[in-house]
Amino acid sequence: MRLSNSRTALISVVLLASAANGQSPKKLQDGQPNMQGTYTRAGVKALEAEPPFNPIDPGEKNPFSVSNREDGLGPYPRIFGQGGNVLRGSQQRTQRRLGIVFPEDRKLPWRPEEEAKRRQFLLEMNPARDLRHVELNSRCALPGLFEGEDGNNPYSILQPAGKVVIVYDYNHTSREIDLNRREHLGKNIRLFMGDSIGHWEGNTLVVDTTNFNGRVAYSREIPYLSEDLHTIERFTIVDDNTIDYEVTIDDSKLFTGPWKVAGYFSRVAKGVESLEFACAEGSQTLQNIFGLPPSR
Amino acid sequence: MVEKNTFPSSQRRGGAKRRGGQFGDTFRRSSTGASPYRVRATRHPVIKLLIVFLALQLTASAQSAPTLPRTADGKPNLNGIWQVLNTAAWDIQDHGGELGIPPGLGVVEGGEIPYQPQALAKRQQNHAKRMTADPTEANCFLPGVPRATYMPYPFQIVQTSDNVVIRYQFAHALRMIPVNGSKHAEGVPSTWMGDSRGRWEADTLVVDVANFNNETWFDHAGNFHSDELRVVERYTMTSANHMLYEATIEDPKVFTRPWKMSMPLYRHVDKNAKLLEYECVFYLQEERYKNAPFK
Repeated sequence: MRLSNSRTALISVVLLASAANGQSPKKLQDGQPNMQGTYTRAGVKALEAEPPFNPIDPGEKNPFSVSNREDGLGPYPRIFGQGGNVLRGSQQRTQRRLGIVFPEDRKLPWRPEEEAKRRQFLLEMNPARDLRHVELNSRCALPGLFEGEDGNNPYSILQPAGKVVIVYDYNHTSREIDLNRREHLGKNIRLFMGDSIGHWEGNTLVVDTTNFNGRVAYSREIPYLSEDLHTIERFTIVDDNTIDYEVTIDDSKLFTGPWKVAGYFSRVAKGVESLEFACAEGSQTLQNIFGLPPSR
Repeated sequence: MVEKNTFPSSQRRGGAKRRGGQFGDTFRRSSTGASPYRVRATRHPVIKLLIVFLALQLTASAQSAPTLPRTADGKPNLNGIWQVLNTAAWDIQDHGGELGIPPGLGVVEGGEIPYQPQALAKRQQNHAKRMTADPTEANCFLPGVPRATYMPYPFQIVQTSDNVVIRYQFAHALRMIPVNGSKHAEGVPSTWMGDSRGRWEADTLVVDVANFNNETWFDHAGNFHSDELRVVERYTMTSANHMLYEATIEDPKVFTRPWKMSMPLYRHVDKNAKLLEYECVFYLQEERYKNAPFK
């Protein structure tokens, strides 16, 4: 992200005027409530009551810590998590729901055998046993709906007629939500970003996504979700600067039932633009982990 | 039906005689200002016939002029999925076929690219090692501009009042083009896809692209540029499903003068058209590292 030059000095003192709760958002020509703009996201990671065993937790006493990896791959620098605060300025916000909101005990309903597989998978990521065990962010792949840096970096929302398009700051990613289609793509089309169809319920955009490719992660602790993944997201416009977000994650291959996570989007200060996020172009990650592949 | 396309509604209510007057106006505009035709035109039967004939010609051409789809703010509606039907990604100049390389006519206006002598030598070196050195075809790197436009993959234009986003299927390349009068960023690192700023000139979307690095090529044949590249693109709809794409290339380090390429863009009209994913980097890794680790 970059602050356009003429406004740099102003950014720190810009307070975004917050519309009173309950005020209706303006409508676009096609009838969509207008939520266009650039936002940061908060809250969309597990935040479990009793987090599952985490072999890559970078704690000091953990011999498997990512910080100890010979390849130098460590946890993301803290700066990524702090960027949003800079971008948002000092605006006061009301408390919003964050993290797992269902089940109420905030424990993920893992199928025991899949939980065991997940643990084993995580151990084999450290160091990566083979290409399959390299996290996708390190491969510059499309991140799916949740990952990408810390998953909360800026998003720009555009609403051409009949669509919502979300452009990620991360790795020139974008996704399209089709508001006019009612049926998902055929089952042989498998996508990192899934196939999203949506509709508006008042000021809430409801998005149904399937056709995932079984590769994308939810977080570093949940390094993959299955092809059966089916998400229902709800983007609710709260005021001019805030969108509440809730996602139901239904993956019957990995879990005995669905679980829900809540977070929210905050509009960034005016004049903030994204810089290019080139990823594969400069990446030496795979060479560092595995050595150079045989010459082509 | 004809009048609907030709005249504003306020001029359609006048009936046949009034319409004749409109045609007469058109006729007069095409002749010299103080011509005697203006007086005689509506009286002499032969001239009347001539006018009717000309009027039919004019309305016929007006009828075949494109009625462009427009957005709510009155701009040509570029929203949709587009693609070229040419071989410029392999070589933007005339070229014959080779194994894996389809032959094609060039897209460079005038045919020649005005390289400086040293730059031409580098282009030949690039060409010789293109199978491994082409940043895009061999390495899946971001293709830059204008190459992203004529990769043999579709791209989607997402147009709102303030922004145009182009989502390219190839390597999920993406450009955010503000169309809000903002200026190029200064003092930021150079980029693969450039810093794009758009504006509307009548019905043409003009995009000024600056702040490139020197890493991308124009094609698989090794045509290249430096970090002083500047591109001005023009997107002009010529019908509901066609656009003329023009890109003017300026790079004083590499070329002796600005030059231009142009080509039509075709809309995907399939009922279920949708931009899917071509994750070039991912597929390349799967191939190169399938037997990893190597140490």
